[in-house]
Amino acid sequence: MISERSYPYATVLPVMLVVALFTVYPLLHSVYLSLHENVLTRPLDNDFVGLQNFREVVTGYYFWRSLWSTAVFAVMAVAAVTLYGLGVALLLNQVVLGSALLKVVVLLPWAIPAVISGIIWRWIFDGDYGVLNGLLLVTGIVDRYVPWMSQPFSARLCMTVAHVWKQGPLAAVFLLAALQVIPAELYDAARIDGAGRWHGFRFVTLPYLKATLALVLIYETIVAVATFDLVYVMTGGGPADATAIIGWYAYTEIFRFLNLGHGAALAIILGGLLLGLVLVYLRALRAEEA
Amino acid sequence: MSARRARRWAHRLEPMALNVACGAVAVFILAPFAWMLVSSVSGEAELTRRPPIFAPSPPTPANYAFIFTGQLPKDSTRHGIFVWQTSHEVRLLLPALRNSFIVALSVMAANVVFGALAAYSFARLRFHGRRSAYAFILTSRLMPAVAVAIPFYAIVQRLELLDTYRALILVYLAFTFPFTIYFLSVYFRYLPIEVEEAALLDGCTRFQTLLRVVVPCAVPGLVAAAAFAFMTAYNEFLFALLLTQTIAAQTMPVLLAAVATNPAVSHALLASCVILAIVPPGLLALVLHRYLTRGLAASIAR
Repeated sequence: MISERSYPYATVLPVMLVVALFTVYPLLHSVYLSLHENVLTRPLDNDFVGLQNFREVVTGYYFWRSLWSTAVFAVMAVAAVTLYGLGVALLLNQVVLGSALLKVVVLLPWAIPAVISGIIWRWIFDGDYGVLNGLLLVTGIVDRYVPWMSQPFSARLCMTVAHVWKQGPLAAVFLLAALQVIPAELYDAARIDGAGRWHGFRFVTLPYLKATLALVLIYETIVAVATFDLVYVMTGGGPADATAIIGWYAYTEIFRFLNLGHGAALAIILGGLLLGLVLVYLRALRAEEA
Repeated sequence: MSARRARRWAHRLEPMALNVACGAVAVFILAPFAWMLVSSVSGEAELTRRPPIFAPSPPTPANYAFIFTGQLPKDSTRHGIFVWQTSHEVRLLLPALRNSFIVALSVMAANVVFGALAAYSFARLRFHGRRSAYAFILTSRLMPAVAVAIPFYAIVQRLELLDTYRALILVYLAFTFPFTIYFLSVYFRYLPIEVEEAALLDGCTRFQTLLRVVVPCAVPGLVAAAAFAFMTAYNEFLFALLLTQTIAAQTMPVLLAAVATNPAVSHALLASCVILAIVPPGLLALVLHRYLTRGLAASIAR
């Protein structure tokens, strides 16, 4: 029988072991890989090459292209998710029948795998048989099918729609939680002072939401930059690398070109990027708690 | 129109406008599911027309029948047989779902048991290294998944666990424990401490107190934590793709990604697979929406 003194250690240990196994070693291993030549098609050349992998990655054409694609997607996705989330949160915070019903279904897209969200939207946007094209044709908005996923801009837009559909509910729930703690008296006071709906939103709601909005923005940036599943099933990085965001690029370096050194260097760069964002996030979180 | 009448009109119109807006969002959320459902009871020939047939009549069960029994449809003009042959992997959906279930349920159970044990200790007990252990577990989640993909593969290979449930379960535990522990330790801390102190005075050990006093009070939190762990494991794709090779361990997202990226896929069969695959998390989200919403809100607001 475990004594009361050793009880806390016994309960924490199993969790610590699992987490440590998949944290400490992987980090060291990644750093090791990134500093060595490691191309699976040339298994015998395993020399220490210092920062050469990083240099090759950073000076490569595809790295900057993928950074650009990542930035474009992140801006589109974060803006869209935040605006949609805010809109849905404001709706959910109302006392009308529709909002009670919406509350029941709002989490559905969030609950299903990102892979499936990609499959669903890819089928909707399909250039040959997609239902979007079908509806637009029937209503006379287009007179022939449009290959939405074959042009860089519209492909990014399609991916953004799928991303918003899947990620929006979480942002909405976060913002709703913040909306619900705004004291109702503030709105009453604003109304007595002659403020309309817009002023109530502008001078009561927004200041109260500011901290949570900041958290949602940063969190959604992290999620958007790390997007992988959606690229894998929707576009495969195309067309013309328009959706080859950095997570996808690292994946192809590793599994298409079998260059583990490059892959690890890229992974560390991406990890650093995300870690930076996370630190900003934690600071914002602490600022909110204070 | 006088100003007062205008205001009265606005008063009446406002709920209507809000309801319309809610309806629009609901359509955006539900329409993709609805089109998948329609596709899943359509023949391939009805989906590959321009425009497609929006309401197949009569709805056909042939796609589902093929997934479950492997039976080819009699009406071959309605169901392009060629793409059925190129989409034969959909027959593996049921084994893949079984794999997903075994992995996700194991992850869920381990999260509830080990997660709750550790979370309670972090919430209520003082012991050496408590703060640093807690900080370590939480920060471990900050590592982005792609950044450690190769080392994870190396670890699993060295443990000789490639293409097994155990590999996926281990990896998903490492992913889910931090959130479960954070979530539950915050939850436990908000429970009234007096009852626990009374139980301890009555001679209960810490473990008995947790089991008999804390757990019954914490059911909503435990349910939410269990659902989060289940969904994370059920939905995960990248590591399932890396660490499995055959249908012995391949989970549903891996199989469906393979089916969907096949250029000659049968859209009707794929839609049926999607509908079957989203039933478990969809049901969880519908039934538990109150717990989940509150849990998610608490995870950011506190």
